[in-house]
Amino acid sequence: MTLNVKENLPNRRAGKVLVIGGGIAGLTVAWELARLDADVDLVEKSSFLGGYAIQFCCKAADECQKCGACSVEKRLLEVIQEPRITVHLKSELKEVSPNGRFLYTISQHPLCVDPQRCTNCGLCLEKCPAPGAIVRGYSKNNAPLYAVDETKCLYFRDGSCRLCQKLCPEKAIDLNQEGHHVSKEADAVVVASGFQAFDPVNRPRYGYGINRNLITALDLERMLREKGEVVRPSDNKPPERMAFIQCVGSRDHQRRHGFCSQVCCGYAMRMAEALHCRRPEIEIAIFYMDIQNCGKNFSRFYERCKHHIRFVRFMPGDIFQGQGDQLVLCHANEQDGHAIREPFDLVVLSVGIMPGASNIGLAHMLNIDLDKHGFLASADSLDDTSTSRPGIFLAGTAQGPKDIADSMAQAGRAARKVAHYLQTIHGSNE
Amino acid sequence: MNTSALVLGGGWTGIKAACELADLGYRAILVDDGTRLGGEAPFDHYVSSNGDKLSTLSDSVHAHEAVETLLSTRLVSLTGVAGDFRIRLQQHDQVFERSVGAVIVALEADPASLAGEYGLQRAANVLSQSEIEVALAAPRQDRKMPGDGFKDIVFVVGLHEEENPLIMERTIRSALEIQLSQGFQATVLVNNVKLAEKGLEALYKRSRETGVLYFKLRDKPQITQDGSNLRINFLDTVLRRDVKLTPDVLVVEEAFRPHPEAARLAQVLGIDTDSEGFLQPDNVHFLPVRTNREGIYVIASARQPCNLMHGWTDVENAVLEIRQLLGKGKKRVSAEKVKVNRGKCTLCLTCVRVCPHNAISWDNRAVISTVACQGCGICASECPMDAIQLADYSDDQIEARILDAMDKEADGPRIVAFCCQNSAHEAAQMAQAFQMSAPDGLQTIKVPCAGKVDVDHILKAFRAGAEGVLVLACHKDNCKSQQGNTFAGWRVEDARRLLAEIGLEEERLVFATIASNMPVEFVKITREMEDKLNQLGPSRIRRQAAA
Repeated sequence: MTLNVKENLPNRRAGKVLVIGGGIAGLTVAWELARLDADVDLVEKSSFLGGYAIQFCCKAADECQKCGACSVEKRLLEVIQEPRITVHLKSELKEVSPNGRFLYTISQHPLCVDPQRCTNCGLCLEKCPAPGAIVRGYSKNNAPLYAVDETKCLYFRDGSCRLCQKLCPEKAIDLNQEGHHVSKEADAVVVASGFQAFDPVNRPRYGYGINRNLITALDLERMLREKGEVVRPSDNKPPERMAFIQCVGSRDHQRRHGFCSQVCCGYAMRMAEALHCRRPEIEIAIFYMDIQNCGKNFSRFYERCKHHIRFVRFMPGDIFQGQGDQLVLCHANEQDGHAIREPFDLVVLSVGIMPGASNIGLAHMLNIDLDKHGFLASADSLDDTSTSRPGIFLAGTAQGPKDIADSMAQAGRAARKVAHYLQTIHGSNE
Repeated sequence: MNTSALVLGGGWTGIKAACELADLGYRAILVDDGTRLGGEAPFDHYVSSNGDKLSTLSDSVHAHEAVETLLSTRLVSLTGVAGDFRIRLQQHDQVFERSVGAVIVALEADPASLAGEYGLQRAANVLSQSEIEVALAAPRQDRKMPGDGFKDIVFVVGLHEEENPLIMERTIRSALEIQLSQGFQATVLVNNVKLAEKGLEALYKRSRETGVLYFKLRDKPQITQDGSNLRINFLDTVLRRDVKLTPDVLVVEEAFRPHPEAARLAQVLGIDTDSEGFLQPDNVHFLPVRTNREGIYVIASARQPCNLMHGWTDVENAVLEIRQLLGKGKKRVSAEKVKVNRGKCTLCLTCVRVCPHNAISWDNRAVISTVACQGCGICASECPMDAIQLADYSDDQIEARILDAMDKEADGPRIVAFCCQNSAHEAAQMAQAFQMSAPDGLQTIKVPCAGKVDVDHILKAFRAGAEGVLVLACHKDNCKSQQGNTFAGWRVEDARRLLAEIGLEEERLVFATIASNMPVEFVKITREMEDKLNQLGPSRIRRQAAA
């Protein structure tokens, strides 16, 4: 094979792209576009890149269960090493010009922590007197790894405390920093603003927030990531019996959530398997309507799960307080229909994927459509990255529920569409 | 780099791929073993409702000069590496050669009726899902269904094996269409209603509102077929009573199986399949369309049954990969990535056999393609002559790092952990960033893949003074090089036997799997090792050195 190792392409600019949202879809679009020589501005409203997916735990049992959480780690590392991507944390899109080339303004809240100076020593988190005011990122690839939550920080409340700033040995913290606006321009825009998890407070009969041993699957993901094991929040002891309740928020026509979230069966089964592998003595039940598939070889995976997990086709309407800190679920015996009251030490609500809170604002600002559930609508039945406006594309769960793998695939497609669009407007080779 | 690509499969995803490649300026060879392009696939609603777009696409593939369409043609062999594959194609009796830079496999899935699995014989009133779709394609007034008068039509789906949203959508659409006809009742017997696809929950709801009945069973119902009489019995768990149905027509689901050519093509292309026989191993590193072999991509229903919308998402991802691989025909690669010492190589071909990426060929010595090589180092560690050395990870360099690590003062037993850069190395760094306290005597040595860890490296670590050695690999099915973790596990077993022979406790050497986002587990594994070493006391080698 003859390979000419001389690079034949001068570093020609392919175009500028604004990517809204730094979750797995936004990271993937940004990285793929950078590899296509585009300059990318990646705008993330929180203090950390990675979205929900970077908070997820590894769900490997004896073998990898293909949840894809590690792919997010890898993609994040690739993005932060890529010079063509400019990351704007704690930033929100404020304005976009309506026509042609997109002139836009983002408002950036003060980051307060200088990523160049911070050495991840963690002293600020350790010494901060206000709980939750200093937050740590989920991955070592979050830079800076620590951030100030203005809603909880005493300095932002009444100026009474600047302990972290005084203590920081690297002088990396500056609470006086001011927010500012940045105006830029882009040739194309990708909306990858993600979803929000269903808030189970909206299912008052479950009583989320009252019994501490009732948690969401997202709480469980974070617990496993942080502690590596599952415990009851009430006493920090491992549960003996735990239950997952599926479709919390999803497939709920009364709340106009007439859609399947597509990820909950997969994460519940994978987490249950991972927990079984680590602590086989925990009895795990999954309450469900219809088990949905996840990944390749699903039949085999499901069969294996049935050996370790009890699947109960019943959706409990209420969760009752049991003895001590236990929770009681009522369901019907499939054979004779008799009611069963079953106590559990820990109940996990498999909360679904709901339209992102910023969808309405973004749709309005960008003049694109929402679907009837509130997700951003695609304009082509064969291409879910397309919108009704040229130059604006969609990726990830902003467009509808999907898992990590599908978000990454859709993001790849969006990157291709952007590249194609840039070619048509510049009239040059892609 | 050769800037043409082979597309295997002339269905709508294959056609789309060929057109997209041609639009980018690449040449595409579109090959199908059938006699015409455009898949049958009437079952896919995305196909049947997008007739106009597809016929435009069909026209453009024929018009494109850069697309060479070869029908009644099959791929016979493939050699070479990404950027320069040589292929042989067979059309009727004729075999001819071509060169391509990349390959896209776009085989359709194969619908298989499950009538036999439900114990049913073929009959006029037992239809497959495809057959009912053909019948329903006719205008309502012209439809012919077996039986007289009112028609009761029952569907069975998902009761033999788990189905998927694609199969479920077909059933729901047909049942709804039947229900909308005067004098028809559609009933669906199903286990899990698979709705994890945009719009399906709404369609399911609409079908129920229209009057389609759904019974959710756990097991296959009892079906008796007596001539043209069909009787179905099952226990309904909601009503808690036996239900008897006597349908006029019974419609049986179709499962999707791998294309009949899939197994043969996997062999020819040197790529792995999943356990169901679909192409592309079940490993997240390959998502969405990559395979264990650079330059060969598997899309749509060739890897997992899917509808046309998702199929075309795969097309775009494969084209994106090819654009990155072939660029404008030239690619910059590091010539220093891996070196074969031609003086030492005895052409035993061990490396050729173990390379998971098919990156090694030979002239009169082994030759490693720098384009196809992923740098895992499995070959380097397996080579009996130590003729292969990896840039940055040569045996000498790794040995130097081991000695370096053992030079450092430590409060506690010294542990060397060989860490795969894709998992354990990341986890170790994460533990450090999060101030988690790993053992003081722990020294990590980064390797490109656990498959690079040689028995020699392990023994050298002990000789240099390590009390314990950890080999930390990716979880099973999560190795970027497919078998690097397996090789590492085997070598650890070998090394443990050797340790036993020289009188060292086997527990001093541990193999474990971990992921990049598991810093807690990293600390746990290393702490457990430290505890064990504290119990064991100094190793014999160390005691001798001290004496």
